[in-house]
Amino acid sequence: MTTLTDPIVQGLARGWRVLGGGRGAPPSELECDVAIIGSGAGAGITAELLSAAGLKLVIVEEGPLKSSRDFKQLESEAYPSLYQEVGARKTADKAINIMQGRCVGGSTTVNWTSSFRTPSATLAFWRERFGLADFSDDALSPWFLRAEQRLSIGPWLAPPNENNDLLRRGALKLGISAAAIQRNVKGCWNLGSCGLGCPTNAKQSMLVTTIPAALDRGASLLVETRAERFEIEQGRIAALHCSAVLPNGAVAEGGARTRIVAKHYVLAGGAINSPALLMRSAAPDPHGVLGARTFLHPVVASVATYDHRVAGWEGAPQTIYSDHFLDIDPIDGPIGYKLEAPPLHPMLFATSIVGFGRDAAGRLADFPNDNALLALLRDGFHPQSPGGRVRLRGDGSPELDYPLTDFVMDGARRALASMAELQFAAGALKVGVGHELAPLYTSWAEAREGIRALPMKPLLTKVFSAHVMGGCGLAADAGRGVLRPDGVHWQIHNLSVHDGSIFPTSIGANPQLSIYGIVNKLATDLARRLSGRDVALAAS
Amino acid sequence: MQRRTWLGLGVAGSLAVAVLGGGAAWVLRSPAWRGGTLSPAGREVFRAVARAVLDGTLPTDAAAHARALEAFLGRLATALAALPAGTQAQVDELISLLATAPGRQLIAGLSQPWAAAPNDAVQASLQAMRTSSLTLRRQAYHALRDLTQGAYFADPATWAALGYPGPQPIAPAAA
Repeated sequence: MTTLTDPIVQGLARGWRVLGGGRGAPPSELECDVAIIGSGAGAGITAELLSAAGLKLVIVEEGPLKSSRDFKQLESEAYPSLYQEVGARKTADKAINIMQGRCVGGSTTVNWTSSFRTPSATLAFWRERFGLADFSDDALSPWFLRAEQRLSIGPWLAPPNENNDLLRRGALKLGISAAAIQRNVKGCWNLGSCGLGCPTNAKQSMLVTTIPAALDRGASLLVETRAERFEIEQGRIAALHCSAVLPNGAVAEGGARTRIVAKHYVLAGGAINSPALLMRSAAPDPHGVLGARTFLHPVVASVATYDHRVAGWEGAPQTIYSDHFLDIDPIDGPIGYKLEAPPLHPMLFATSIVGFGRDAAGRLADFPNDNALLALLRDGFHPQSPGGRVRLRGDGSPELDYPLTDFVMDGARRALASMAELQFAAGALKVGVGHELAPLYTSWAEAREGIRALPMKPLLTKVFSAHVMGGCGLAADAGRGVLRPDGVHWQIHNLSVHDGSIFPTSIGANPQLSIYGIVNKLATDLARRLSGRDVALAAS
Repeated sequence: MQRRTWLGLGVAGSLAVAVLGGGAAWVLRSPAWRGGTLSPAGREVFRAVARAVLDGTLPTDAAAHARALEAFLGRLATALAALPAGTQAQVDELISLLATAPGRQLIAGLSQPWAAAPNDAVQASLQAMRTSSLTLRRQAYHALRDLTQGAYFADPATWAALGYPGPQPIAPAAA
């Protein structure tokens, strides 16, 4: 029905080397200059830069290679094929649902395009507490700028959809700040299906930008292939062992096994998965920091019903935000939160609201007139917000233990109240906050009293995450982090980590541009060290 | 093959042993689904849970109601098959346990068998699990409810209840 071109189909026709997942089994032994694990934000930027330096790359991705012709804007297809654990990855106690990508392009293939540079206050905290002296606004600015140019990150000029405009209007009524979110899109059709894979290739994800650039330069991509473990000998990785996996992640019986020998390895499987691979490999961890300080921006939500159609599924998601509640207190004070308005689709909505039976049926019937707000809690800046810890299950798969402390849940309570107040200010008829014991409130006064009395316990409060960070943190000394400030492992000298796991705290904003910009710097330096050549991201 | 337990800590497993004694091993070897097909016991649990969770959403006409439930059970089996092995084992263990009388009584607090229990009794059980002080019971509630809501609304035929028109068509590019 469409005449849109598919850059992946075209690239494969040009002879890209893609193996696995029904495209031919990878050989049992592979040699290259650099093996990159993952194909998301950090892996993509790294792959473009290292391939530009003339290095021979093998990229290993556990998920499938899907592209615009596969993206039908259907949750029933997107969650099983493009997300970790069918979009239902959970913390150990099942209290937080984590949405994280698992496909070529990683989370960038399914994210909602929100693009923020790392906030100044976050960088200042890293300099002060983790000794990352070079991580200043001025020093990083050129790296962010180049990433923004490469990925067409800029102002979104279309009017916000009603779901986002309600956030803007509510904030205006309350006299709090709200502003527009920059997006990484080129020729966006304003469909609102970013989370299900962009069907028009407008989103400038790694799937359609840096990974194709690397493949055009001869990089090999192994898909539906899991990096199982490193062979580590005397502070160096000798090889990486990989297995073919089935769509649900199970190792394919009789499937391909590949041993990859490289001069250098870049781990970019995303937080949770990257520390887990190091744990499976029995990587040295003399200070017990591996997998610790894993952060989620725990998210709580509030759904409000208006007297008019909102159609939260229509139009670009997350185009307006408010940082008012991040800026009230010092960054290491009571936990602050960022407000955004997510896209709404049937499965996500039906599983995210609270309740069942006739109560839920009533909430579901209001769907077209509903606005949803999210509050992303900025975790990791206070002693009572140490985040979670990755550990391995018996079969080697990772699990994140993330206790929701009273400190974090105090922020969740304030966030529920802030969202309800804003929604009533914007004209909401009723508000349902994400808590199992909260009735539908019909006034701000009622909501304020009700929320004050809610027991803020895990599995009573609905908590989500779409941002996984930390677990292989950067630090100026080995006692405080897994990685040196240049991204190289403190104890393993031919290993770099280039993904969201490198952050010493959460970001306090949607993390994709933080990964692009910081990895741009780390990978450019790595390319120079490995090849002696100066390289840069393409202009766009 | 290594079996996993619901919490990854053996809580449900040891609960099963405590409740079922020597029967536990048998129960935990009787998967609620296999090869993408729910067992009869698994279907019974989920048919009752879906009737309760989707009350007010399922079609009212008896034949349409039955068809919608049957189609839901098919989608649920597909969804379960897509889960990672570890999660499958956890859900399997929960459902297998709920399918036994002692497990049903202990976790759901439901005295009657799933197929015989009236809808309001199943709803009262779900509400008790949802607000329970026991983490395990709240976890069980969320697993049952989320699997039901997610699998049900995966099908475009259900979207009318939400007033959702479906994805915007992508118009062919101009020639």
